Amino acid sequence: MGPLIPNGVIPAEWDSIIAILIGIAFGFVLEASGFSSSRKLAGQFYGYDFAVLKVFFTAALVSVIGVYYMDYLGYLDVTQLYVHPFYLWGAIIGGIIMGVGFVAAGFCPGTSLCAVAIGKIDAIVYVGGIMVGVFIFSEMYTIFEPIYNGYFYGNVTLEDSLGINPYWFVFIFSMIAIVAFIAADMVRKRVKKVFY
Amino acid sequence: MVKKKIAKVLAFRYTILAVILILLAGGLVLLPKYQKHEGIKPEELLSNTISSERYMTTDRLAHILINQDPSFILIDVRDEKSFVNYTLPNAINIPLKNLFNEENIGYLNQNQYDVVLFSNDHFYADQAWILCNRLGYKNMRVLKGGINEWYATIINPLKPADNMPATDFDLYATRKAASMFFGVVYPEQFKVEAPKIVKEAPKKVITIEKKKKAPAEGGC
Amino acid sequence: MKELEKTKRISIAAVIFILAVIIGLLTYKRPKNTYAINTKSTLEKITIENYIVALNELKNPEYVLIDIRNQYDFEKGHLENAINIYAAEILSADNIKVFKELEISNKTAVLYGNNPQEANAPFLILYQLGYDNIKLLAIENSYLQNKLITQNSEIEKSEADVSAFINESIKKANTTPVVKVVAAPPKKVITIEKKKKAPAEGGC
Repeated sequence: MGPLIPNGVIPAEWDSIIAILIGIAFGFVLEASGFSSSRKLAGQFYGYDFAVLKVFFTAALVSVIGVYYMDYLGYLDVTQLYVHPFYLWGAIIGGIIMGVGFVAAGFCPGTSLCAVAIGKIDAIVYVGGIMVGVFIFSEMYTIFEPIYNGYFYGNVTLEDSLGINPYWFVFIFSMIAIVAFIAADMVRKRVKKVFY
Repeated sequence: MVKKKIAKVLAFRYTILAVILILLAGGLVLLPKYQKHEGIKPEELLSNTISSERYMTTDRLAHILINQDPSFILIDVRDEKSFVNYTLPNAINIPLKNLFNEENIGYLNQNQYDVVLFSNDHFYADQAWILCNRLGYKNMRVLKGGINEWYATIINPLKPADNMPATDFDLYATRKAASMFFGVVYPEQFKVEAPKIVKEAPKKVITIEKKKKAPAEGGC
Repeated sequence: MKELEKTKRISIAAVIFILAVIIGLLTYKRPKNTYAINTKSTLEKITIENYIVALNELKNPEYVLIDIRNQYDFEKGHLENAINIYAAEILSADNIKVFKELEISNKTAVLYGNNPQEANAPFLILYQLGYDNIKLLAIENSYLQNKLITQNSEIEKSEADVSAFINESIKKANTTPVVKVVAAPPKKVITIEKKKKAPAEGGC
């Protein structure tokens, strides 16, 4: 049956509308769980709040388990799902830049927009910074292009490149997640509490 | 009292959730594996094969060939020897056993041309059609009766007896003209304009357009 | 107690989630018939294995004849000891049971129709469902004065040498035919370039 749009259950024209609805829900959940506070986001790097790590790890875990169960029962075809293209050096360099920005400002691009919505000045400055970055990137695109389009390895998944059974991968992944949760809790207890 | 009990249970809520996750993930590993369903459902395949929609008559095919309709690909699923001996004009040879070879998929899995499969009768062509239909390939046809029927109706049409209706004579005249087009020469015919084509058509490379629109991406 | 109030929203979400899962499980219907082999191995098997039975081989006690024509034709005349299973109903639960029983008792189902082409589709579908005990009887049925005439029919036999016939006709015409070998207009090679769409950027 699924995925719904590629199989024509929902016409492809609807995807923008669905994107808007999902986006609103996503923004609501981010704000409701307090992710528009840069202190909370930065907390995981300093060790006093691991909510972000837990939330995103849990979300990934629930969806990956759900997707594979649905695939097993025939509701969804995993092979038809979109796999993000893998540009090796683009991903590494982009990841470093994004990580530095994340620690320094306490926002990731998604939560920064949430924070702009509730009127945080630091977030407005942050989004301004994103725009400047976009402008610089576009102006110097010819220089960055070899990295941007190079080192392309196709739309690979970990299962493809490691040759590992996806079910075992899900199991190992969930073990890692739970170990990470426990470790995060232990770290949090040792670090001095910060009130924010 | 009750609330206290619930609070006591809820003190372990993270542990409970963690256990549920591990159980579910472990369940995935332990579930009995079965052969992934490939292609359309057997019931659907059966109803597709029962319908005779896929058959194309030799007369229709002759009409298409004479008019050089560019939207058709002919695929000969017989072995190479019979292919070299005689085949329909512009046909491509894909022996049945090589049907799903990498280089042939492009001809079958596409939606720009109508594909007409044929063999000596339509037994092998039907088998190829059924397998392709299971995979959901579109626009596939089978030449009804295959080369044998082609020979009996187009190449060597039977002259109707005198007491047959006029439509039969019309049909015979059409078929005879068609047979001349395909290279047969009749004694009463003084001028021959029969383009005999035994040239192998260049293989077309067709890439199926992926339906994928601009990929939507998510973030954190 | 403050803990409890906090978790209210979470519990609502959890209930909805569990409901969705339960509805999913309740509406789940396991497909009755599933393919046992994929198309590639089917192709390999049908090109290698011999699944054709001729009329004189029918004496084999392992063989059970199955007539896939409709009931009317079946009653008009059929081979001795044949069971009638109409092609369109071959996947219904009762009929599948027949094939399963045959498989258990180590018998071979031999399908036939008015001609081998007719039995081809039911044969191939059952074959893909994993029944290895299926064969195809290569016969042609016709009626002569309401009596069923059955004769062997050779599958994929080339009945006439078409190119020889054409050459012969040219010779017979005795005119020195100027057969213009008109090269067919080469079919266009159409390569649709995959539009490389700039991947939408995003991310968190």
